[in-house]
Amino acid sequence: MTEPVLSVAHVDKAFPGVRALDDVSLEVRPGEVVALVGENGAGKSTLLKVLSGDYRLDRGTVSVGGTDISQATPLQAREAGFRLVRQEPEIVPWISAAENVRVGEYPRRRSGLVDHAAIRAGLVRGLEEAGFAGMVDPDTIGRLLSPAQCQIVEIMRALKPGVRVVAFDEPTSSLTIEEVGRLFALIRKLREQGLGIVYVSHRLQEVMEISDRVVVLKDGRVTGDLETAATDADAIVRLMVGRELIHDFHRHETTRDEVVLEVKDIRSRWHHGVSFTIRAGEILGFGGLVGAGRTELAKVIFGEYPREGGTIRMAGVERGIRSPSDAIAADIGFAPEDRKGEGLILVRSVIENASLAVFRRLSRAGFLSRRRMEEQVAPVIHRLEIRTPSLAQDVGKLSGGNQQKVVLARWLAAGPRLLILDEPTRAVDVGAKAEIYRLIDRLASEGMAIMLISSEMPELLALSDRIVVMHEGRLSPVIEKADATEELIVSHAIGTGVAA
Amino acid sequence: MSAGIARQGAAGRALRFVGTENLSLIVALVVLSVLIATQTDAFFSTRNVMNVLQNMTVVGLISVGMTMVIVSQGLDISAGSIAGCASVVCAIMVAHVGTILGGVVFGIGAGMVLGLVNASIINYLRVNPVVATLATFSGFRGVAFLIAPEGRPIGVLDPTFALLGSGRILQFGAFPGIPIAFAILLVAAVGGHIVMAYTVFGRQTYSMGGNPAAARLAGINLNRMRLWLYSISGGLSGLAGVIVTARTSSGQPASGTQGLELEAITAVFLGGALMAGGKGTIMGSMLAVLLLAVLSNGMNLLGIPTFYQLVAKGMLLVFAVAIGQWRMVMDERRQARRSAGAA
Repeated sequence: MTEPVLSVAHVDKAFPGVRALDDVSLEVRPGEVVALVGENGAGKSTLLKVLSGDYRLDRGTVSVGGTDISQATPLQAREAGFRLVRQEPEIVPWISAAENVRVGEYPRRRSGLVDHAAIRAGLVRGLEEAGFAGMVDPDTIGRLLSPAQCQIVEIMRALKPGVRVVAFDEPTSSLTIEEVGRLFALIRKLREQGLGIVYVSHRLQEVMEISDRVVVLKDGRVTGDLETAATDADAIVRLMVGRELIHDFHRHETTRDEVVLEVKDIRSRWHHGVSFTIRAGEILGFGGLVGAGRTELAKVIFGEYPREGGTIRMAGVERGIRSPSDAIAADIGFAPEDRKGEGLILVRSVIENASLAVFRRLSRAGFLSRRRMEEQVAPVIHRLEIRTPSLAQDVGKLSGGNQQKVVLARWLAAGPRLLILDEPTRAVDVGAKAEIYRLIDRLASEGMAIMLISSEMPELLALSDRIVVMHEGRLSPVIEKADATEELIVSHAIGTGVAA
Repeated sequence: MSAGIARQGAAGRALRFVGTENLSLIVALVVLSVLIATQTDAFFSTRNVMNVLQNMTVVGLISVGMTMVIVSQGLDISAGSIAGCASVVCAIMVAHVGTILGGVVFGIGAGMVLGLVNASIINYLRVNPVVATLATFSGFRGVAFLIAPEGRPIGVLDPTFALLGSGRILQFGAFPGIPIAFAILLVAAVGGHIVMAYTVFGRQTYSMGGNPAAARLAGINLNRMRLWLYSISGGLSGLAGVIVTARTSSGQPASGTQGLELEAITAVFLGGALMAGGKGTIMGSMLAVLLLAVLSNGMNLLGIPTFYQLVAKGMLLVFAVAIGQWRMVMDERRQARRSAGAA
């Protein structure tokens, strides 16, 4: 048996509150395609970033072609022969496609000036060899490249001399069927050349077609390492799912009759006719893969992204929401997924962040009333048990869970009829998670309608009264709580579910 | 740093009033003053102190507005040019129309209108604030020359109006009185401080500067905020231009207002504001303006040539901002260590 070209042994990686990788081991031999599968948050991306040197592992070893890269920088990992084809490549917007491929290592003429002709010719030749002839114009500047072309540029970057292992992270998410065919031809060719291939994908059909072996990750652990020929998609899905439900959390049935939110036929850049309703006291869960358009849907409803068609009714009244302030006026609250980027003012205090959406209500004649803040907002902060040395503490200095609670406190203080929660427990530790679940449950029981976007299966199943799944800008039929299973949701999410 | 520290007594209350983050400015001010006073007796004379206050007025007024704009993650490079326009407008009103009140009102009004122009360029043409006000920096200066007849200074010989520039109030006995211009600055600074610290508008300014995306998602209308911020900044620059007119007895398209924006920006950063927005106080900026005024006054008294003063000012700014950066890095390290311990 040949020596593995990539070997990963007993790798651990932890983030505050999360064990992202737990004793992960796998090997890739020359001329082998190993697929890496798992749900959102199973640890696939973390593993790739450990291999590429973006993250430093806590424990364990990684080697490529015999070279130890356990503590390597991204550049050292590259030089050892590990190349990562990222799902969202870094493309420099103002230079050409050809320059993007060679950025950082431009060839020079004898005069010392950059040899643009060689850069250009290099890409044309490379595209031909890879089977992508003519698919990227070498002179097009980065910002005008389509997502598929960016992906090809990223692949060309990986295939530079010295490559021994190529890892593809969801390479087909932006490709057409025809382009996928070409990509697979390329992968087979690389396999014949004796490279090791790691193929990360949610699309199990592709995995079955292209891979020799499948490694399944779940909650940061390897739960399966199988010969592709000896298994099937159902068996793989079973290894991916089946996490334990959250202990000691029970959702109370609180749905009432009155419809709070009625969304009809929303169209936008990302959505092709999305309709659903949420009633008072109900939690409607939104499942789907990262990138399916759920966050975008939340932002379209909240007026942050433009709506091209469709209507939004709150409590039966049509609302022409065109900005977040319109949405807030329509009694909608939104806790975004990207807490630090979009949720919080990190350099300002806890109480100020919690009061942000209700400044007007807390003021008299334009002056913010300390007394009103302390009467109306401070109790909310205490009720959520936000652990902070004082209300004047900068939010940036709190833990992830407490930061999330500050965002929730803001909307609790505002008291909307509809609250949109986008990944409310992302990067939150287990203890805070349970508290946040109980809080969401209580908000619903007080009559709030909740639109819950979550990529964590157990969370979605435990909290939601009904579930819809988004796939490529469309919603699945509603799944009632009694019928909801991880298998059903996953199959809708990856597009193999029964169409409406 | 400032949170959770309960201090007792008058010293504690005074410290809270100034703000702990401004402590280093106070220390620098005291050290510098003592240093100068040991070299020359003239420094602490009442006359000289009043001179320093007089001299900080014009930059001080612009710095109040500049602080608000910088806190909101903006910048107003055109402030000096706005003051130039306002100076010409004011002089025309006082000298040719014969109304002092009109001169003041139209001077400030012209500044506000030009501020609205800045905000509109940023809001609706989506030009970055640095580029937008760099463009109007040049454009407004041109306008100042165009509205001055033949581009020349306009003489203003009204003695009552001149009091705005060099008059004193509360004169008694040997006390030479507080400069009227400084009293105006004091009112503007206190007003600015109240707005920034206690009103919804002020707190929203801090929010939008700290994180515009989060502020918008919390329902704050950023465009409307900018219209207000830049017109306030423009109005204060206009008022600065009015004071220059009164002090020099002439409407000056250029002289007297050139470079004011850079002095104000220097003071605001020296006062602890961040280019990234979300941080900065009127109090800090005012202390910095005072520090710079003391520095140049002291060096003048000691007969140190202007060239050295310029170098000293530059070094002071680099030094102050470097300390601020270093503090932030240390804070972050401490934070990282704490959260690593928690995991």
